[in-house]
Amino acid sequence: MPWWRSDSAHTPLSAQADAAHTDASYERSTVEAVQGSVLLARLQDLIAWGRKNSLWPLNFGLSCCYVEMATSITSAYDIARFGAEVVRGSPRQADVMVVSGTVFIKVAPIIKQLYEQMMEPRWVISMGSCSNSGGMYDIYSVVQGVDKFLPVDVYMPGCPPPPYAFMESLLLLQEKIGHQRRPLSWMFGRQETQPLMMPSKRDEKQAWRSQQTDYPSIDTLPITDALFRRPGERRPGEKSPNPRRPTGG
Amino acid sequence: MANASVLSGKPGIAGELENRFPSGILAVQPTRDDVPTLWVSPEQARAVLSYLKKDAPQPYRMLYDLTAIDERLRQNRQGQPASAVSLVYHLLSFERNADVRIKVPFMSETPSAPTITDLWANANWYERETWDMFGIRFEGHPHLRRLLMPPMWDGHPLRKEHPARATEMGWFQLPEDKQEAAQDALQFHPEEWGMQRSEDDRFDYVFVNLGPAHTGTHGVLRLVVQLEGEAIVDIVPDIGFHHRGAEKMGERQTWHTYIPYTDRVDYLQGLLNELAYVQSVEQLAGIEVPDRVKVIRVMMCELYRLANHLVWYGTFAQDVGALSPVFYMFNDRERIHHIAESVCGARMHPNWFRIGGLAHDLPDGWDELVRQFVDYFPKRLDEYDSLVMQNPIFKARTVGIGAYSLDEAIEWGVTGPGLRACGLEWDLRKKRPYSGYEHFDFDIPTATHGDSYDRAVVRIEEMRQSLRIIAQCLRRMPSGPYKAHHPLTTPPIKERTMHDIETLITHFLGVSWGPVIPAGEGGVPIEGAKGQVTYYLTSDGSQTSYRTRIRTPSFPHIQMVPFISRGELLSDLVAILGSVDFVLSDVDR
Repeated sequence: MPWWRSDSAHTPLSAQADAAHTDASYERSTVEAVQGSVLLARLQDLIAWGRKNSLWPLNFGLSCCYVEMATSITSAYDIARFGAEVVRGSPRQADVMVVSGTVFIKVAPIIKQLYEQMMEPRWVISMGSCSNSGGMYDIYSVVQGVDKFLPVDVYMPGCPPPPYAFMESLLLLQEKIGHQRRPLSWMFGRQETQPLMMPSKRDEKQAWRSQQTDYPSIDTLPITDALFRRPGERRPGEKSPNPRRPTGG
Repeated sequence: MANASVLSGKPGIAGELENRFPSGILAVQPTRDDVPTLWVSPEQARAVLSYLKKDAPQPYRMLYDLTAIDERLRQNRQGQPASAVSLVYHLLSFERNADVRIKVPFMSETPSAPTITDLWANANWYERETWDMFGIRFEGHPHLRRLLMPPMWDGHPLRKEHPARATEMGWFQLPEDKQEAAQDALQFHPEEWGMQRSEDDRFDYVFVNLGPAHTGTHGVLRLVVQLEGEAIVDIVPDIGFHHRGAEKMGERQTWHTYIPYTDRVDYLQGLLNELAYVQSVEQLAGIEVPDRVKVIRVMMCELYRLANHLVWYGTFAQDVGALSPVFYMFNDRERIHHIAESVCGARMHPNWFRIGGLAHDLPDGWDELVRQFVDYFPKRLDEYDSLVMQNPIFKARTVGIGAYSLDEAIEWGVTGPGLRACGLEWDLRKKRPYSGYEHFDFDIPTATHGDSYDRAVVRIEEMRQSLRIIAQCLRRMPSGPYKAHHPLTTPPIKERTMHDIETLITHFLGVSWGPVIPAGEGGVPIEGAKGQVTYYLTSDGSQTSYRTRIRTPSFPHIQMVPFISRGELLSDLVAILGSVDFVLSDVDR
């Protein structure tokens, strides 16, 4: 249980002592009495919760996909429901870069520059087929996927993905961020405090992943899905573990 | 000039030119679109072009397009002079309502030609593009450097020996040194562009870099602005950040499988791109489509014109500081997308027109959807008038800003609403009706001042006219087949495919190998949402196009921005860009 509510401020100590010995109604009533006034949580969960619900996208568009991304900001879709409506013009204020469109060889150094200007932690959503893999543009001027030079957190299929697909990818990213561990920044070394090096696995595997040419077929995807789950983790709406699926761990 | 025609035996401009330049005209080439196409010797080409612009009766005042063809692998060139690389000049005369094409043959693989930048202002970028893509030098060009490709690019992509696929060109990598070199190459040096720094020690110009990642430039456009205080002295646009190689792609995809790529050339006007392409292919193939196809095409295209104008309207208002209209207008655009999704199954890139018809017929209940929209939308337009067009701040930001005269518009190759805002009643739907536009009742809106506000006025009135056309489609939708009975219709009519083996084989060949379009050249210009669009197609009698030239309106319009911005304030530049209505994919293709 990640958080727990407690109370003692408003009940006299004697009453607490009496009630503690008498019946179970004490626990229930005190819990009810202070609900909403005290919140205890693990720091890493609080940070992750705050981060995932206030993702600020960088206002950066490449092509057609950007129009659909902009459409998702407007009132019919209203991305503010997920806390991601604060679109920033400066990369230094943004959390997530949505690579929305075709990645051209001429524009790739600029994308990388913008990414490097963003403050950590930073995330990348690859929006649309062009950005995922070059898509239908296997042509001399197009980079075959933004992951050739940037680490990607969420790949969104579609050409262009409709606004609801963009929102789905945002939820996927939120789910990922919600499980992120507390970012320890400093630790005591032998003589002084030192920064703790915790390289991102995403960044470490980036080079290897971008060299991949063989991908598992659709049939094998549930197994990889299970491998990436933590023990006992279930997807929303999933009642019980599928007995035919091997459970990972 | 009846006299001249009698002398040479050829009517029209071809006869005129043969009489005036007897040694310069090498051949007259028949084309599928009946545009007079003359081969002119390289020595005389400049004189012919100058004559056509300045001295000819009812002159050809607009340089509509300038491009080249790499002829080295072409087989069907009967009657054409020998050539390794040919230049193609496409001129337009408003007085004659006619075009002319001048082709110049070169035997050298890396030829050079005299520049015509002194004849037409908009030749500047066209020549740079041709140098970039084909390696043809233009002697006397002020800044002959790459336009679309990165400065350190090796080769000229539209030449036949240049690889088409990225996957043929090795693994893309972006290590630190390459990244730094690319960033250094982006450094702007005013002296290279003939811009002077101030000689006064106490004063210097400011050079502001806008883009390619900037919120006000509507995409990956880069503008380097030279400022004196807040006033714009000059602008150097840097484009090519959105070059998707659409023309090279046409040489690889079959005639049929190229249709989805046309959607993405101007990604805001969807089916209008497809109409321009499909009509050109049908002209080459000699297909006449049924009436129902024509009316459905007109209706869907007008809906996409509305969708395009709604995006322009909202973002234009947003550019000058009105933040709420864009939310209303995108909502109305969603209504159009809802219709498009019901009919085509997709929102922005419908991929729905086919060579010789449509992918399928209209769904049941389409009329109710369209009727609801036609009833709903006029009231919204009135509301937007009071919200945006009558808004005093909006007027103060746009009236008199970025104005150009009709002569300047023609000089710079402006078409579409930007041209009509100068008072010229020129709309291809009226002047050269296609797809049955002659049967519709609508007006051509014009304005007089040619400034940012008037360009908006024209577009908004155009939206009302589009609604009128859609309402007429709704009332008078003919019945009949949604595909033409023609052997090159791709894919053929489904009922026949299921009935006889010959059509089934044709279906199979058409969608796998592609239909074989007879050799020939031509293009059907259409009135797109932003201006005139032409797919000038060259078929060599195979399943793919030999050369696909896409003449887009945004390219000359963006080229004109420095000219109309000089002397305005930096903040006005955003209003000018908004009023021009361009899409970077339409500029760079």
